[in-house]
Amino acid sequence: MSLQIEKKLDFNKRRLGFERSASGYDAAAVLQNEVGTRLLDRLALMTLQPKRVLDLGSGTGFMTKHLLKTYPKSEHHAVDIAFNMAKQTQRYQTWRRKVYTTCATAEALPYASESFDMVISNLMLQWCDDLSGVFTDIHRILRAEGGFIFTSFGTDTMIELRESWKQVDDYEHTHRFVDIHDVGDALMQTGFQQPVLDMEKITLTYTSLPKMFRDIKAIGATNASLGRNKGLTGKGAFKKLELAYEAFRTEDGLYPLTYEVIYGHGWGQSKVGLYEGRAIIPITPVG
Amino acid sequence: MNKKLLTILVCPVTKGPLIYDKKNHRLISCSSRLAYFIKDGIPLLQEEEAIELSSEEVEKYR
Repeated sequence: MSLQIEKKLDFNKRRLGFERSASGYDAAAVLQNEVGTRLLDRLALMTLQPKRVLDLGSGTGFMTKHLLKTYPKSEHHAVDIAFNMAKQTQRYQTWRRKVYTTCATAEALPYASESFDMVISNLMLQWCDDLSGVFTDIHRILRAEGGFIFTSFGTDTMIELRESWKQVDDYEHTHRFVDIHDVGDALMQTGFQQPVLDMEKITLTYTSLPKMFRDIKAIGATNASLGRNKGLTGKGAFKKLELAYEAFRTEDGLYPLTYEVIYGHGWGQSKVGLYEGRAIIPITPVG
Repeated sequence: MNKKLLTILVCPVTKGPLIYDKKNHRLISCSSRLAYFIKDGIPLLQEEEAIELSSEEVEKYR
């Protein structure tokens, strides 16, 4: 598997020429770490000094590991839905630098209101069904001047696979990712101030479709892989899919798979001006 | 149970306060009548992972 960035943040078509071989790693780790690094680069430009930071959906602890270095004076918290992930994040704490780790869901955060100056979330939100509900709870735990900074996958994620499956049958084989504009709307509606969103596309290339499916499984988008419906994904269906995917194959004969990565942030605000937890602010176009 | 962590933790269901039950090493939410476990220092604050308490049990923590 290799990885390349096709589009840069400002939607322009300039090819960055960034290319990196990522063999030996699974796509989940490569994407998580690559996007996480870009998120950290953005943080570095923001010159924030949060007292208390939350890594929401901490996974293996990649973000927490780096946040500990970026904000050495902050109190660090991490939360993940899976105990094993929380446990992996916890190993980054030392006797001097504590990481307060909790097991919970983003839909029902176990933190008191206005507890955090910064909530960071790297590639977790795309698996949440109720984005507005999640945003509402994040806004609740954020202090007035606090920042919510995140990444997620957008609607064009795995577009080649979705388009190819369309040639085979009418079933939905890929996870339905949320449109960047809907993410923006949800941010506004839940009271975040000055929301900013942009996106870039990261394309992974594979030598075969089975290799791609193994990676998709590792990322957690299992319904994108073969095997969702055994009757439909037999040898015949697979051959059809492979044939349909021909249209996307690169000059080198590789199978590309694009991830639309959304970067976003918004600020908390004084709870004055809120009506039943919702902000009364004029709606302006986002994205 | 770390005191610093406990000061900002609330019940995920009701957002009400949590009481640390030292004897049983768990976190009690009187408002939702749930007891949450703590494993390897990590509080498991999910409704599905918690056990329900009877009214009498809850009263003991009030």
